[in-house]
Amino acid sequence: MDTSSPAAFVNGGLLRMHVGRKVRTVIQVTRSDAGSVMGKSTDGCQLVVRGSPPAPLTSYVEVIGVAENENSIRAELWTNFGDSFDASNYDQLCQLANGELKHLFL
Amino acid sequence: METIIPEYEIIGNPKLLMGSEPEANKSMPNNNLFEPSTRSTNNRYSAPAPANKAQSFQPTIQPAYQPPPNYKIQGPIMKNEAPARIIPIAALNPYQGRWAIKARVTAKGDLRRYNNARGDGKVFSFDLLDSDGGEIRVTCFNAVVDRFYNVIEVGKVYLISKGSLKPAQKNFNHLKNEWEIFLESNSTVELCPDEDGSIPRQQFSFRPITEIESAENNSILDVIGIVISVNPSVPILRKNGMETQRRILNLKDVSGKSVELTLWGDFCNKEGQKLQEMVDSGLFPVLAVKAGKVNDFNGKSIGTISSTQLFIDPDCPEAQGLRAWFESGGRNTASISISKEIMPGGSKNEIRKTLTQIKDEGLGRSDKPDWVTAKATVVFIKTDNFCYTACPLMIGDRQCNKKVTQSGNKRWLCDRCNQEFEECDYRYLLQVQIQDHTGLTWVTAFQEAGEEILGCSAKEMYLLKYELQDDTRFGEIIRSRLFHQYLFRLKIKEELYGDEQRVKITVVKVDKVNYSAESRYLLDMVTKNLRNRKQF
Repeated sequence: MDTSSPAAFVNGGLLRMHVGRKVRTVIQVTRSDAGSVMGKSTDGCQLVVRGSPPAPLTSYVEVIGVAENENSIRAELWTNFGDSFDASNYDQLCQLANGELKHLFL
Repeated sequence: METIIPEYEIIGNPKLLMGSEPEANKSMPNNNLFEPSTRSTNNRYSAPAPANKAQSFQPTIQPAYQPPPNYKIQGPIMKNEAPARIIPIAALNPYQGRWAIKARVTAKGDLRRYNNARGDGKVFSFDLLDSDGGEIRVTCFNAVVDRFYNVIEVGKVYLISKGSLKPAQKNFNHLKNEWEIFLESNSTVELCPDEDGSIPRQQFSFRPITEIESAENNSILDVIGIVISVNPSVPILRKNGMETQRRILNLKDVSGKSVELTLWGDFCNKEGQKLQEMVDSGLFPVLAVKAGKVNDFNGKSIGTISSTQLFIDPDCPEAQGLRAWFESGGRNTASISISKEIMPGGSKNEIRKTLTQIKDEGLGRSDKPDWVTAKATVVFIKTDNFCYTACPLMIGDRQCNKKVTQSGNKRWLCDRCNQEFEECDYRYLLQVQIQDHTGLTWVTAFQEAGEEILGCSAKEMYLLKYELQDDTRFGEIIRSRLFHQYLFRLKIKEELYGDEQRVKITVVKVDKVNYSAESRYLLDMVTKNLRNRKQF
């Protein structure tokens, strides 16, 4: 993975703006198979994350990887974020990080 | 007397000025016209030839000299001595002219002796209430005291006249009147023996306890409530070295709030003792307080002053209303005390400040303390004198907590409770340095805040340091508590330390940072900031 540029904070809706680039997001796991995980983004979209998730997987997980298309990510890095997480705060962060305060992040 | 001319004719129409009873002349100064002829006839005695037998001859004698009637025109002014008409107390003022008032004595002060540059003197005052509800204080000095001190009795009605009116001394006189009467040597005070039902015995303007919460410090007011607790009388050493008694009671009223009432001096032994006995025997008496003083040291409480009057189970409609409320459920409703330190601003309207803002904005400099919240990290904890030996005894529902001194062998003495005991409590008095991204400041943390910061009780730390003398373990604990971030609820107030004014910051509450809530707060701040920037 190219680590020279920072990963953009995204939610479901913002993923399409970074297709082909490095992104990071937190999803609430809905289904976990070998090789991929399905989860709900902080703005309520269904996303697919391909890769090898850690075992065990907590309810919330952060993934950093490359956006394949507007609803799927190929993850390189997985981090368990536990079972309680404030999704609305994260979502607001994503909006600020892609909007007016983009210059602070990318 | 020798008659010169035995007989004579009356020339003209002279009028004899007959000096009759002076009393009759009071209302009619210009009367006493007598028919001259009859009188003179009566008075004329025929004198026979001048004789040597002087005894049998009654010469014409002028009527004996009678003192002139009382009413004379003296100088240019005619004095009107008619009795003054009664006016309402509310109409009294120094420009009134002759006045009289009819009022009941509602309070009689003590006879006080004083000594000033002009010598020794004595003074006493009493308060009056008339049928229109007007009130005024009357003061007598020196010789006037002797005339009236024993005449004046509380509850009796008097007709008072000829006093001088001067501005009321608001420091001592809390009646609703800008004037005060000063009786003089020519003043009159007449007892009215007939009971005048139109004049009430007392006048109150009771404030509900909930209103006292917002009353100004040192203001004087009346309050009525049910006595729910009475504490024993304790001797207190006053600032002037004199000892006095103090009792604390709690009153509850229909507003759902309760207030602490402090009795001082004689009130402790008289009304205080009576109330204690009543409460001990299971009663809950009504207590009316006239002229209590508001104190804002700990929340709002009321204390007695010299002009306070206490009435146990008074016969007034408010007392009856209170009793009815208490008996029909009021007894069991929990009441919130306004006499506990309140922290204004719940979590909804907390004011967040950075540490440099406290200094830059001059917080704590007004007459009320400032309450703010600051997010900061503990960077230093002073280990000398981190706690003090405290009194564990209870005063009402609160622990005394006053610093106790050692008395003799392994015993402790509390000055406030006036008791000795074996085991004292240990309470934190921590000096802590906290820091945020803007700056650094010292704060003082008491018991609860101290326990949160150090994570263990003051007693444990005390024993560790002074009894077990385990400095290593003590040091480890202290170090482990450094560099933790908290949300500090701070009370900021400027206080006089010797000669200088210093801003003192007390930690009232320590909360661990809730990341979810804190993030929301920060996101909110960022959004607001962006919105404000757009306006420029």
